[in-house]
Amino acid sequence: MSDTTPPRAASPRPVSPCPRCAHETIEHITGSPVPGVWEVLQCARCLYMWRTSEPARRTRRDAYPEEFMLTPEDIGAAPEVPAVPPLRGPGAGPATR
Amino acid sequence: MAYDDFRGFLDALRKEGQLLHIDDEVMPEPDIAAAANAAPRLGGHAPALYFDNVKGFTDARIALNVHGSWANHALALGLPKETGTKEQVEEFIRRWDTFPVAPEWRDDPVWAENTLEGEDADIFRVLPLIRLNDGDGGFYIDKAAVISKDPADPEHSGKQNVGIYRIEVKGRRTLAIQPVPMHDIAQHLHTAEERGEDLPVAITLGNEPVISIVASTPMEYEQNEYELAGALRGAPAPLSRAPLTGLPVPWGSEVVIEGVIEGRKREIEGPFGEFTGHYSGGRNMPVIRIDRISYRTNPVFEHLYLGMPWTEVDYLIAANTCVPLYKQLRRDFPEVQAVNAMYTHGLVVIVSTKKRYGGFAKAVGMRVLTTPHGLGYAATVIVVDEDVDPFDLPQVMWALSTKMNPAGDLVQIPNLSVLELAPQAITPGITDKLIIDATTPVAPDNRGNYGTQVRDLPETAEWLARLQKLATAR
Ligand SMILES: [Zn+2]
Repeated sequence: MSDTTPPRAASPRPVSPCPRCAHETIEHITGSPVPGVWEVLQCARCLYMWRTSEPARRTRRDAYPEEFMLTPEDIGAAPEVPAVPPLRGPGAGPATR
Repeated sequence: MAYDDFRGFLDALRKEGQLLHIDDEVMPEPDIAAAANAAPRLGGHAPALYFDNVKGFTDARIALNVHGSWANHALALGLPKETGTKEQVEEFIRRWDTFPVAPEWRDDPVWAENTLEGEDADIFRVLPLIRLNDGDGGFYIDKAAVISKDPADPEHSGKQNVGIYRIEVKGRRTLAIQPVPMHDIAQHLHTAEERGEDLPVAITLGNEPVISIVASTPMEYEQNEYELAGALRGAPAPLSRAPLTGLPVPWGSEVVIEGVIEGRKREIEGPFGEFTGHYSGGRNMPVIRIDRISYRTNPVFEHLYLGMPWTEVDYLIAANTCVPLYKQLRRDFPEVQAVNAMYTHGLVVIVSTKKRYGGFAKAVGMRVLTTPHGLGYAATVIVVDEDVDPFDLPQVMWALSTKMNPAGDLVQIPNLSVLELAPQAITPGITDKLIIDATTPVAPDNRGNYGTQVRDLPETAEWLARLQKLATAR
């Protein structure tokens, strides 16, 4: 998907982009038990999750610290930890460690 | 003095003046994490914190810093809160000598009062989750005990595992987990994934305090954490079967989450401010699907802040890192007197030992590197004489000042294994390690110009006791 034509379907209303990766598809995860105080949101691309009542340095793209920003390239280059082992059929003998 | 549930321990902390109830309204972020960040700065008698007036929540109860001082650690072990650090480690060693103590099965676990299943098993409905550090990728659960079994040997209770792992909340019913390759759960997951299976897990929160200690103790693969809990408690650990997975879980937990680590699946995780005092993250890690949540009515959410040391995690993994290393070293080398592995889970280890003959201290240092825990930690090992207290850092510095000559006392071993989170590694997981021999050379190692060492006068111990008494009576 392109960042210039953000789909809004996942979000009940337009919200700011992801503070961390600037993606525009933001999911609504939950709201405050006291109605209307805060919401918990999540970026559909980098999975950053935050509460709307947090300080700007955690919730706004323009105030988000550069050292914590994530790009699609970073996500693509993320290593697998731990690596997924090759499949072994049942009865293939004891697993090696 | 054993606590069977988390609330029993909170009551004990309250009675001892070691639980600070903050009833002013606070913001979920950044207030709660900042308070827990600050609490250990109050010193060796820092209290646990209890919040129940959190903006936007109607019935949140959040306890933090529960193990976050030597006073609270002592109370967790049923010791007087004034007990010194070294004395707590020594008592821990004595109690470990009674290991294993079989657990006790109990009916009617306190967490069976309420249940959410399937689509209703929404973690946000049960836990007042809060975020910790600025760079964290989301909400973390970092003081829960995660229980799993070896899929290749599920009946072997020694091969079951109870451990604390970093868990990120990825959705209402989705978590991420970090199984470090050196840890038992990574072996369980490896076996399950080779077979193309999911790995069932139970995650328990708000545990009685000894469960948190054993779950973060670096035990050997076939040692059972609950049997160590029994030894440390001086009473069997009360357990019950988790209803969905049948996994053995503490009887007195506030919340029991059950589900599976989904086999062969990885997803972007982190970062998270780790116990190393550095963030780690941006890696694809395993994912947990939540299938069932059981919880006590009005659950208390126990959480842990970690950051620039020392914070609660440093107290939680201090004594319990020293003791297994001490026991493993003593098996081969009874000359070993004490082990201080309290710094960053034993990335630095200080050992005091008698010397069998010249060169012996270096052999003890090398043995540290080949213990199970040493394989992932012990980047630096400092070996000191038997009369130096490794818990007394000014004495350790004196040993380094006078007993160490780089010409013959530094042993650097290249390219050894270390946990992937160790920031100093050359490439994650590989580092050089250093043994510093700060012992007095003995024959036939005749280096140095050591005259006779000045020792405490024979009457000093008696005078110390006398002065302490006079000082308290002032
Ligand atoms: Zn994002």
